[in-house]
Amino acid sequence: MTNWLIAAAALAVLAPAVFADQLADQVIAPPAAPGPATGLADSAALRATVYGTPPQDIAPMPAKVPLVEINMRMPWARPVPDVFWFDRDLRVWFSAQDKPAPLVIVISGTGGDGNTTVLSTLRGALYGAGYHVLTMPSPTFPGFIVSASTTGVAGDLDQDGRDLYAAMQRIVAHLPRRVRITDIDILGYSLGGANAGVVKSIDATQHRLKIHRAVMIEPPVSLFASVGRLDRLFATSIGSGDVDVERLYQKLYAQLANLYRASDRVRVDENFLLTAAAAVLNSDSQFSAAIALTFRIDLMNMFFAGDLYAGTGVVVDPEHPPKVGDSLERTQQILRGKPFSEYFTKVFAPYYLKRRPYSTPESLIAENRLDIIADALRNNPDYYVQTNSDDLILDKAELAWLENTLGPKIAVYDHGGHLGNIGERRQIADMLDMLAGRWQGVVPGAAP
Amino acid sequence: MRLAALAAVAAMGLCGCATEGMIIHRMPAETPAADNAAAIQRAASLSAAKEAADRAQAAAEARGEAPAPPLTPADAPPPKTYDPWEPLNRFSYRFNARFDETIFLPLSNGYRRVPSPVRSCVHNFFANLAEVDTVINYTLQGRLGRGVRALGRFAINSTVGIGGLFDFATKLRLEDAPTGFGTTLSKWGMHPGPYLVIPILGPSTLREAVGLLGDYGTSYEVNLANLYRGNVSWALWPLNAVDQRSNISFRYYSTGSPFEYETIRFLYVRKLLLEDEGLHKKSPRKPRAPDLPAGQ
Repeated sequence: MTNWLIAAAALAVLAPAVFADQLADQVIAPPAAPGPATGLADSAALRATVYGTPPQDIAPMPAKVPLVEINMRMPWARPVPDVFWFDRDLRVWFSAQDKPAPLVIVISGTGGDGNTTVLSTLRGALYGAGYHVLTMPSPTFPGFIVSASTTGVAGDLDQDGRDLYAAMQRIVAHLPRRVRITDIDILGYSLGGANAGVVKSIDATQHRLKIHRAVMIEPPVSLFASVGRLDRLFATSIGSGDVDVERLYQKLYAQLANLYRASDRVRVDENFLLTAAAAVLNSDSQFSAAIALTFRIDLMNMFFAGDLYAGTGVVVDPEHPPKVGDSLERTQQILRGKPFSEYFTKVFAPYYLKRRPYSTPESLIAENRLDIIADALRNNPDYYVQTNSDDLILDKAELAWLENTLGPKIAVYDHGGHLGNIGERRQIADMLDMLAGRWQGVVPGAAP
Repeated sequence: MRLAALAAVAAMGLCGCATEGMIIHRMPAETPAADNAAAIQRAASLSAAKEAADRAQAAAEARGEAPAPPLTPADAPPPKTYDPWEPLNRFSYRFNARFDETIFLPLSNGYRRVPSPVRSCVHNFFANLAEVDTVINYTLQGRLGRGVRALGRFAINSTVGIGGLFDFATKLRLEDAPTGFGTTLSKWGMHPGPYLVIPILGPSTLREAVGLLGDYGTSYEVNLANLYRGNVSWALWPLNAVDQRSNISFRYYSTGSPFEYETIRFLYVRKLLLEDEGLHKKSPRKPRAPDLPAGQ
């Protein structure tokens, strides 16, 4: 996550946003404030979440992994809005073995495209273990929302699962004939972990892909509780208003300028930014700010797309949607200050309440918990979970729920925060054992 | 000869193929094992470099050379960026995205299949040519020490490095530190000026664009080894461009975000301004009016 600096600077963009519409009537109550996650108070967990797995702890990787990018149009996609002209095709990445092999479909985390750093690490490990690997964007990634969503309003586990499932079928069916697939497994990290579980359960009734095993890496248990924690992290580490975001930008700029002056470099390049990140990012409050900002940037894109498609008019005038070439600076400013709870109350809930008779905001929240597949998680031996006891997106009760529900099919590591141990030797070895159905559960006293 | 070369380049570019609405682009293979080894090495070298820098700073402070007063958050440029030609710039940005997707990126992906020692020779060759501009501009900036180092690099790499194909100077601890006319203009006190998206080349500002012209003009006037006015000059620009593109991992709209133009503009101009802060650390410039957008 070294590009956090870019992310931070990107978010800190421009003059104060106006919160005039904050007084607007909030008919729908936002999700109740969730309990804190254990990892949020844990310095090591925050650090791991920001810096990721140290390269010396990464599992053995193959020397070479072939890669193709696949662009494909989904026939059910909604008309592409002008401002999203570049997201017409769904983009996925594929690495093929040259012999018959099982396929693993890997789903990205919140807001991630189909070729993130984490996906690249997983791809290396999976390809090295003899799998074909297909990596997909998160259904919350704007490129997916535009090219493959049937609603344009992302964040609903069941609906996103159905859209993903349809896209997977279409892609797998059109893969070149020389790719011979013997079996299909599914995997995902973070929100993608929850998506993977839901897709497998949809497949269990429709049998179109015959997905064998699912490994869910560090999934949320309750979507809205997890993002609520990130909203709160933003409020406590950065502030609630735009003035606070601007203050963060000014502080960061001055810090970088002083570091750059003290260095002997003639360019602000990647090496400088990496060194600077180590100097700027070393306290819990800075880690928290970086994590909260990264999430907010993803949310801004999803919020914008949802508002545009649903016609809810929070930042996009439904009568006059922005055209190619229009400045979106002002919109970006406003969105920067908007938490997820506002996406829920003003875009997500109004859209789904209208389309799902008998539903209430409470039922929408309940439907976005892993409970919807609890029976399968409990009784089907082909679902596995990997998570960390200091994950930032889970609280104790949710972790206990996962442990109780999955029983012997869950591995809980004692470090890593959120995604800060993906690619580690132990995590990769367990993941490969789970996919192959030979995982024996946690061996007491095993060397990490 | 010229046609054959263009045909070969086009063939390299046409690596995508389509089946039933599915477009498949071959990407350069990933090399995770080597990348990871490089990451470990880089982490070690960065921490070594940081220790050296800390020691140097401590030594300077011990000698009583106080650095310029540090910047405070109040000195940060406003978040708004000076972009009076925004409609035109947005048009160029879209053009660049399409050009990159259909021509530039496929070419550079094809080029990345050329064995890496060959590519590194090409890269070193162009870096060595640029050393001429670097020497001249360091002189114009009054940074003679750096100018002499660049001249040394040029002399070593042009001879021992066989016309610049190999970078021996770096092995002798004479690291590459390129500069150009844009930086010289900044040293002379010019601000970045209006944001400008140059077709094909990408984000820039008026000052940097003038700098690019100046650099090209200098190369053309110096006309090293008759490369810029001779028989092969037509191939020089495209090859240089493909070499540079293949070393940049940026991909237009890979963020999927509708705010990409704003984000890139913000980051690019902040990067320039940070570099300006470094150039003027000994002679801080007058504070700007706070209501002027960044860059003006």
